[in-house]
Amino acid sequence: MTLQALNPRVFRELERPITTLGRIGDQTMFYGKALAGVPYAVRYYTRDIVRLTAQISMGAGTLAMIGGTLVIIGFLTLATGGTLAVQGYSSLGNIGIEALTGFLAAFINVRITAPIVAGIGLAATFGAGVTAQLGAMRSNQEIDALEAMAIRPISFLVSTRIVAGMIAITPLYSIAVILSFLASRFTTVFLLGQSSGLYDHYFSTFLSPTDLLSSFLQAILMALAILFIHTYFGYTATGGPAGVGLATGRAVRASLIVVVSITLLVSLAVYGTSGNFNLSG
Amino acid sequence: MTTEIPNQVAGPGAVLRTKSVGLPVFSRAVAQPLRGVGGLFLMSADAVRFLFRRPFQAREFLEQSWFVARVALVPTLLVAIPFTVLVSFTLNILLRELGAADLSGAGAAFGAVTQIGPLVTVLIVAGAGATSMCADLGSRTIRDEIDALEVLGINPVQRLVAPRMLASGLVALLLNSLVCIIGILGGYVFSVFVQDVNPGSFAAGITVLTGIPELLISGVKAALFGLIAGLVACYRGLMITGRGAQAVGNAVNETVVFAFMSLFVINVVGTAIGIQMTAK
Repeated sequence: MTLQALNPRVFRELERPITTLGRIGDQTMFYGKALAGVPYAVRYYTRDIVRLTAQISMGAGTLAMIGGTLVIIGFLTLATGGTLAVQGYSSLGNIGIEALTGFLAAFINVRITAPIVAGIGLAATFGAGVTAQLGAMRSNQEIDALEAMAIRPISFLVSTRIVAGMIAITPLYSIAVILSFLASRFTTVFLLGQSSGLYDHYFSTFLSPTDLLSSFLQAILMALAILFIHTYFGYTATGGPAGVGLATGRAVRASLIVVVSITLLVSLAVYGTSGNFNLSG
Repeated sequence: MTTEIPNQVAGPGAVLRTKSVGLPVFSRAVAQPLRGVGGLFLMSADAVRFLFRRPFQAREFLEQSWFVARVALVPTLLVAIPFTVLVSFTLNILLRELGAADLSGAGAAFGAVTQIGPLVTVLIVAGAGATSMCADLGSRTIRDEIDALEVLGINPVQRLVAPRMLASGLVALLLNSLVCIIGILGGYVFSVFVQDVNPGSFAAGITVLTGIPELLISGVKAALFGLIAGLVACYRGLMITGRGAQAVGNAVNETVVFAFMSLFVINVVGTAIGIQMTAK
């Protein structure tokens, strides 16, 4: 005991593996509880789920004033679709095949940029918002109050949000993908002056429905992971207002890593090393 | 019409209270975002001006640089590696189908330097550095520490914002180089050991599409991203509305969103300008 009191840093370093493992276990238990609470939440908190779905897709506070999650994700995918067209047109032009820009839009947008950018947008908007909200509830002792009133806090706060997020993600992601296509087409055809028939031909030839489906799978898995991470960090925030701010930052950092990793793992799993891609059709 | 004398001390608190006589009065929904954007620009102008006015806060600058670097280093590695593998995986599928797998080095280097480097840097600097900065400044603001600084005659823009802005820009520039290196190395490892690309032709391809101009543009983009993410974080942290945990959480949330949005726009514009400048 005295040894520990005299050398706090040494002991903290020694205990680090144990605390890390403990944190992993703690998160896993939290996620399990949140998933287990879903049926209860659907049964008893339907109204809250509807309210949260609206809040998640439209945002809360100042963010709602500029259009919420929907507009922000749309904006981000518009910007990346544009970047892709500009960069692709010029790089392909270097080797004389800028006619294939439409193919690039159908291929790269679906496989890389739309899932990653939508995931980033989700983490930044509804993810960070959820952490801030739950963290504030924790720091104002509202979660303790829920428990005191015999309301299951994980079902009421976390499971409802997970269900709402799962409802909101499909329309949100559809809009994101459509906007990234439109941005690429607009940039290539109207700004860079390629003929629209050429663009549309290569675009629709190489737009594969299975690719689109697997990119929806990526988006749904990402939304689930983001919601898990952000609710966990918010639910367990400590240390008052500064702590809530830090928890929000930490949650965003964690979910950025998870977003990219999920996109990679699903791509490797779905497309395999062969790539599931045939240029000759 | 209020004719309140604008507070000339360029404290960030002064910006919102200033009103001009004779301008049309917008509705709240229009005025508030506009005021936010205007305030950000005013504060940025002040911060840039204070860079050239002594005393420069060298100590704060170093501490902040170290802070941002420490917060951002591990996430950078963890985001850059899967991102690189994802891009070179997809590109190699494409190149092999075209019968040009020898060019995968060119693709990996070009992707890493022109897009992945700045983009990952944006994500990390805005997602990790700016959020911590905003949480730090925001909690100081709600504890009235910023007001205390002003009472002591210390300008918070000079003392806090200018060094943070520079620190964020510097760290973004350094991180960008790190991501580029990881990008090329990761592309090499994945292409050569997993997808059976010839290592010699990979190495030979690296410099085909990517040269000094691309590298310079990528660095400039990353530094700009860093500066802007730092400015947004500081502005949102100082202009916190309300008190308590929800206010700080919201501020951090909005910092991430606004930083990402402005950075993606800058990326489009920067890419277009870069291509114009490097066009042969």
